[in-house]
Amino acid sequence: MRIALRIALAASAALLTLGVAQAQEKTLRIGTEGAYPPFNNLTSDGQLVGFDIDIAKALCDEMKVKCTFVAQDWDGIIPALQAGKFDAIVASMSITPERAEKVDFSHKYYNTPSAIAVPKDSPLKGVTKADLAGKNIGVATTTTHYNYASKTFTDSTIKGYPSSPEEQADLANGRLDAIEDDIVVLQQWLDSPDGACCKILGQPSPQPVEIFGPGAGIAVRKGETDLVNKLNTAIDAIRKNGKYKEINDKYFKFDVFGAES
Amino acid sequence: MPAQSIWTLLSWGPDGWSDDIAYGVLVTIALALATLPFGLVIGFFVAFAKQHEEPALRLAGNIYTTVFRGLPELVTLFLFFFGMPILLQYLLRLFNPGATIDVNSFIAGMIVLSLIFSSYASEVFLSAFRAIPKGQYEGGYAIGLSKWQTMRLVVLPQLIRIAFPGLENCWLSLLKDTSLVSVVNLAETLRNAGVAARVTKHSFLFYSVAALVFLVLAILSSIATGFILRSLGRREAR
Repeated sequence: MRIALRIALAASAALLTLGVAQAQEKTLRIGTEGAYPPFNNLTSDGQLVGFDIDIAKALCDEMKVKCTFVAQDWDGIIPALQAGKFDAIVASMSITPERAEKVDFSHKYYNTPSAIAVPKDSPLKGVTKADLAGKNIGVATTTTHYNYASKTFTDSTIKGYPSSPEEQADLANGRLDAIEDDIVVLQQWLDSPDGACCKILGQPSPQPVEIFGPGAGIAVRKGETDLVNKLNTAIDAIRKNGKYKEINDKYFKFDVFGAES
Repeated sequence: MPAQSIWTLLSWGPDGWSDDIAYGVLVTIALALATLPFGLVIGFFVAFAKQHEEPALRLAGNIYTTVFRGLPELVTLFLFFFGMPILLQYLLRLFNPGATIDVNSFIAGMIVLSLIFSSYASEVFLSAFRAIPKGQYEGGYAIGLSKWQTMRLVVLPQLIRIAFPGLENCWLSLLKDTSLVSVVNLAETLRNAGVAARVTKHSFLFYSVAALVFLVLAILSSIATGFILRSLGRREAR
């Protein structure tokens, strides 16, 4: 029976062209999506680029391991991690309680903050509750930004919109004094011709984790505490040595890390 | 993203996405063609089992088609692609702790698509089997042919002709099912078009390209099957 099993295994190993090899210590395989610019995307000549990719490379340098990348469709990305197709997911994955049941997360490596945009000629000076008192603020409903704005700016009129483009249009045509949204969404709009009217005024502070969530982390298989610790140390290290800022500034005009945790 | 004309986006080479999508098309075609022979052979034998006099064989055949026609294709794919390595690895580590094993996504896709294709094809073969009168078998035995010879020389040529239109259907759905394999990290037509769509923000353009690709493949298939059907018909006339 054992021999038959051995033969069956050998045959299936040959048939399936499997890479049967001793697990290599020094190579970390990183899975990413490849369709989420500017964080991670494939270019037309097949290269993986973006903020996530550069951060992952910096972390690998910091941990002194060799890294390879795998571009994997988003729908199968967690099962692929669990099945051992790669060892870590660096794909702008938000840390959520549902996901944390299936995978372990590193600390956040970014948390795009919420920001306030106003027309370029706006008289507004700041983004505190007092600054915005009596003003009309547009926010997309069913977002964390809406929850935050309606709790924080209680002296202002909060106007809900179905999604970001509507609030942006109403800010541009003067119905609103300010809008609150994810800073990356705002920045992409401001960089487009439609957003020429407006500017980012600032980021309200503090931005509590209970409302906005912890941000995007690196996912690894459950129980790989050692890897999580190494990643966390590496994230802290590149934050301190300026490598993070260098990558940040390559992609964004603001600090994408969000509040220090 | 600087504004690029759609002709740049669709060009061949480092600035355009046509080469990426063309590579995806090759993967789609290769996967469908590689699956076809396995699917046909397995489907034939399952149909054979389902009309066999041995009840255990009939039951096995029926379970097979119930399972693989009943499960959503995507579930089958996930089970095999993600489940198989875990199982194989578990077995392998009984002998060699620390070994890792990986199932190639192309092979996994082929296995799963063969299972699905064959379960549908077996029904087509089954109805074709039933369309062949008993007299054909009896005639074969009467002139001294063995069971195998009767099958090969008398039944099979008629079977293929009857089953052909149904199999053509199965082939077309196989062609489309290949797009599911993108979730297990095989860069076929739809995955590459989807990446291009999201990176360039020209979703409509690139999904239209993908639609066109599948349409062209379907047209080419029907030309090819028409050709095969004509040659089968000619053989019948002879």
